Amino acid sequence: MDRRKMLALLGLSPVLAAVSPTFARTAAAFPEDAPGASSCDSGNGAVSVLNPAITTKFAERVPLAPRLSTLDGKTIYLVDTDWGGMQQNNGILEEIQKWFAQNMPAVKTVIKIKAGNFVTDDPGLWKEIAQNHGDGVIIGVAG
Amino acid sequence: MSRESGEIEQKYHIPTVSLAGSNVVSFGLGANFKYNTGMPLRFVGVPFPFSGQPRSVLASYVQGKDTVSGQPFMQAIIDGLTKPLTADEKLSGSAPDAPSAEPRMLPADTQDNLQRIFRDRGWTDYNPVILPTPERVAAILKGTSHAPDEVVKSAAGTFGSRRPFTVEKVATIAVMAGARPEYLPVILALASRVPYEDSTTSIAQMVVVNGPIRKKMGMNSGMGSLGPDNEANSVIGRSMTLIHKVIQGYVEGVTGFASLSNPLRYDNLCFAENEEALPEGWQPLHVQSGHKPTDSVVTIFTGWNFINSTGWVEQHYAPQFLMRDYMSSLSGMGATLIMDPSVAELLSAAQGFNSKAALGQWLSQNVQKTAQSYWGNSIVSSMLAPLARQGLKPYADWLDISGDSLIKPFANPNGIHAVVTGGKTASVWFATDFMPDRGTSIDEWT
Repeated sequence: MDRRKMLALLGLSPVLAAVSPTFARTAAAFPEDAPGASSCDSGNGAVSVLNPAITTKFAERVPLAPRLSTLDGKTIYLVDTDWGGMQQNNGILEEIQKWFAQNMPAVKTVIKIKAGNFVTDDPGLWKEIAQNHGDGVIIGVAG
Repeated sequence: MSRESGEIEQKYHIPTVSLAGSNVVSFGLGANFKYNTGMPLRFVGVPFPFSGQPRSVLASYVQGKDTVSGQPFMQAIIDGLTKPLTADEKLSGSAPDAPSAEPRMLPADTQDNLQRIFRDRGWTDYNPVILPTPERVAAILKGTSHAPDEVVKSAAGTFGSRRPFTVEKVATIAVMAGARPEYLPVILALASRVPYEDSTTSIAQMVVVNGPIRKKMGMNSGMGSLGPDNEANSVIGRSMTLIHKVIQGYVEGVTGFASLSNPLRYDNLCFAENEEALPEGWQPLHVQSGHKPTDSVVTIFTGWNFINSTGWVEQHYAPQFLMRDYMSSLSGMGATLIMDPSVAELLSAAQGFNSKAALGQWLSQNVQKTAQSYWGNSIVSSMLAPLARQGLKPYADWLDISGDSLIKPFANPNGIHAVVTGGKTASVWFATDFMPDRGTSIDEWT
């Protein structure tokens, strides 16, 4: 008598008998999972299972804004997102501002701190930058 | 930050360069672009850490290299604003390389192979799972009246990316975790709350169940309720871990970047409140949140710290005093005390706290810490310092005082919560900084 037939006589599913005590304990919670009700292929011991994976949807693609032909004569806003709090980002934005002043003095830079905190939006500032003819924005720092 | 950059680019047609630490910049370039913004924003990477660095180090970063492209940092910024758009950056509409739909069933295979597949695809907590055969999933679905193909939620991924999932998917995960059919409504309620909060810090969740379903499921709210000694507590907590990974799609280094993470994430501190042992006047957690006593509710807390009282309550030092002392090491953003019923009885009968709110009020008035310690916590500093600078009281008052000045960090007494659980074998408690949501109905998922 082969193993499968012996197990069947004992009232055991070969699938259940082949796995851990945890498996057996949980299987006991399912009376429907009686011998013969499993998804065990009688030919090769293969099991059919549901796929837990979720299909992730890609976001719709949105094009970037056209780039500038040059920075000369342009106004670039340096926006502090206030991530980290306590003016964590000011230092690096000021260093960027200093670099422009020393190396590309034709670029005008303006530092702005976003209202709220790093998780809030500040649509008023984006509007202000547009109305003041801001040509480009350097924003950060996320960490 | 991608949201802000995207809004500036899309709405105002102003080119942006986004600065991000090298610790998280791959998220902006990868998962957040693909699944959330759809915009291939131009990022320049700043070496990590930059918070707390002296000015000289920050200056060296600006003089140094962009961690993304490897070219000089400032040249990368200039290129980001001026280099003409590529064909890919001009794309609009459907993404050309969208992933194909996952099949409902996996190809049949041996149990060992399937266990390996589940492990390798990140669907486990690296313990073996119960394989979700159609029979097992069908059996567990008897725990709810909801149709298997009902969509529980679509915005399930990090930052709300679209990962629509059905009741059947939750049932599949419940089987994998080892659940019984009667647990499914709680697990569905938990799943309906994704995405759970993640952070580069060691954030974690805690799950508290209230109402009649505690008894129906056999959850433990008595002796050993926080330990691995009860099937329902254990399996429901594990289900949440699997939901986080499989449904939310949390992958360390791809969609999340927790530097140390938190061991509490293994089982999410899942337990039930011992409502029957609450002192008179102390309401169950879900009733405090506006639910009826007869409702079954799961509350998800988010926090970081879990401080053990270590020993029992001493006669000469009432429990609220040691709670006060321990809580001074918490951030002040919020707190939850988890206490044995014997502690609640002492607080109520011997110390006169006739409600959980009364205890919260006392602690709000009596926990103190220095201003510099308060602002030294980066979560507090990130969330509240900007608002303090904009004049929000009382935080604004704490910015300009001496660092040694004592403040009362738990300014909002309603932010201090209490949950009673345990078996009265020791008057022990935990001080945590876990903060609850409003509670989710389990009854709606039965």
